Amino acid sequence: MTARPVSGVQSSRGLTGLLLVAVPVLLFAWMTIWPILSGLARALTPEQADGSRPVSFANFVTFFSDPYSLANLGITLWTCLVTLGLLLAICIPLALYLRFAQGRLATYVQTMAMFPMFVPSIILAFAFIRVLGPNGTVDLLLNAVGLPKIRSPYLTPWGPVIGLVWDNIPLTVLILVSGLGAVSNQAVEAARDVGAKPLALFWHIILPRMWTSVAVVVSFTMLGLFASFTLPYVLGPASPEMMGPFMQRTFRDLRNPEMALTQATVTMLFCIAFGLFYVRAVARNRES
Amino acid sequence: MSNLSISNVSKLFSTTLAVDDFSLDVADGELVCLLGPSGSGKSTLLRMVGGFEIPSQGSIRIDGEEVVHLPPEERPTGMVFQSHALWTHMNVFNNLAFGLKLRRMPKAQIREKVEAVLELVGLGGYGTRAVTQLSGGQQQRVALARSLVLEPKILLLDEPFASLDQHLRERLREEVRDIQQRLKITTLFVTHGQDEALSMADRIVVMRDGKTEQIDRPDIVYREPQTPFVAGFIGTMNLIEGVVQNGVFSKAGYSTPVPVADGPATLAIRPEALELTVAGENAQGQVHRVTDYGTHGLVDLVLLDGTRIKAMVSHPDLFAAGQGVSLAPKAIAAYRDNVLIHRVALGKDTAALRQLVDA
Repeated sequence: MTARPVSGVQSSRGLTGLLLVAVPVLLFAWMTIWPILSGLARALTPEQADGSRPVSFANFVTFFSDPYSLANLGITLWTCLVTLGLLLAICIPLALYLRFAQGRLATYVQTMAMFPMFVPSIILAFAFIRVLGPNGTVDLLLNAVGLPKIRSPYLTPWGPVIGLVWDNIPLTVLILVSGLGAVSNQAVEAARDVGAKPLALFWHIILPRMWTSVAVVVSFTMLGLFASFTLPYVLGPASPEMMGPFMQRTFRDLRNPEMALTQATVTMLFCIAFGLFYVRAVARNRES
Repeated sequence: MSNLSISNVSKLFSTTLAVDDFSLDVADGELVCLLGPSGSGKSTLLRMVGGFEIPSQGSIRIDGEEVVHLPPEERPTGMVFQSHALWTHMNVFNNLAFGLKLRRMPKAQIREKVEAVLELVGLGGYGTRAVTQLSGGQQQRVALARSLVLEPKILLLDEPFASLDQHLRERLREEVRDIQQRLKITTLFVTHGQDEALSMADRIVVMRDGKTEQIDRPDIVYREPQTPFVAGFIGTMNLIEGVVQNGVFSKAGYSTPVPVADGPATLAIRPEALELTVAGENAQGQVHRVTDYGTHGLVDLVLLDGTRIKAMVSHPDLFAAGQGVSLAPKAIAAYRDNVLIHRVALGKDTAALRQLVDA
């Protein structure tokens, strides 16, 4: 048996390929992997009075025994879950409409659904304050017709929820509409033909086919919500606060980078859980 | 007893009239084929019967009951789609059982019915298989079974064999015809394959541009096409444009008696109804190519003005390219202004044509 010789052209192509891959891989390692490992190492090696850094879970013990930290983690989870629930409740019907409707109105609705993508979060936050904040547009309109003011969601836990829902609609709709592409018109018509009414059609035929895209939405949205900063910072309450503003305040105002890194590590653990959920959903989809 | 009555149905898509004032009555247990080229409106018509399109006007009745206002889920019809449209997240059993479950039938009864229908379509024991593990033919049988298990009054087949290979298509159409006759289920079948229509249908509706060209038994449609379109669409037909003068049709050296008023006419001759004899100086055409199919031969001829026609011969070895031939049609039809104006068919050839149709 003779080994097949590798030509010079092939090996040079292989080297070029490796070089092309190397740049993004090194960048990823430098900008992402290294900070994670470095942060994790610092969180796990708190500095002692004598300047030594023994391995210890003291920072994590402090975090999980501090009611304020736990309240912040709790409000973050609450905000993420409520936002996710509202997003699915709004975007699934929207995606179904965009998938199956035809005509000009559907095009307009799609454009409207994509609009938030082009509005920066800070603009959205101030628009929110001007509309729903105290003495905002809604209050002025209510006052004009002699009705009492609304109880403004600004600086309450519902402020970030409303902003984050609005901000995440485009990505969620895009992913869901893409997932609905797997549901053929004929599969839907066949279901109607055997007697499926809209609810049965959605539950038994459409939802199982778009399940992967719902899983992707859940993981992507949760990752994005955990990492959100601007909207919770501007629209949310000062206490308890979401993990993003909490980390920033711990780092900058309290000048406690070790604790901020601990908070970041805890946040990252939750994100890893949703990341694994995403990987599993994609893998299952490929298998099927 | 289930019959279907379609009366003056039209469908307008924006500015396009897909179906134009269509009427048809399908008797109980009858299989009617809607045959026509792409864009003739046959699928639109079927979808209107199934409830997937709403007619712009007209009436559709099943057993005398108006169904135009009913959505698909409430119509007593069952549709088999071209792409099978099986639900790939369900196995074979669940694909069939889904409609029965929606009707809240007891589980034992569902199992009994599904298994019986799977046996009927030759897929007994396949219930636990994933539909993606089945071949194209098996998937189409599952799609048929899914409709049959609900015992629809009207079975609608929308080009169900179009995605299958020729061999499988021929086998499945025989099976479907057998099942349809055994169950005596009223069926509307859309196809653009004339062989499918000729071999399966009790009656054929030939459609063109949303209108009916002819409704008849397959043998009549084949042997007595009422329009040049039907003549050209069903089987192979030589259509020769010429002029009738003093009762004689002429075209570039070829003439034959056609006792109609003077004027332009289209002469239609089936290749199998055109006899050829080798001729010398008085040849009416020249052999361009001879193709031997084993059972018969097909001679491609060129008339004196370059018109190409075909003749079917039993001994292709008697002809060769470049040879002069004279034509002796045994059956002809003549059309003017899209209307049949004359037909001559000899008894001997009629019998031969019937054999061809039956084959």
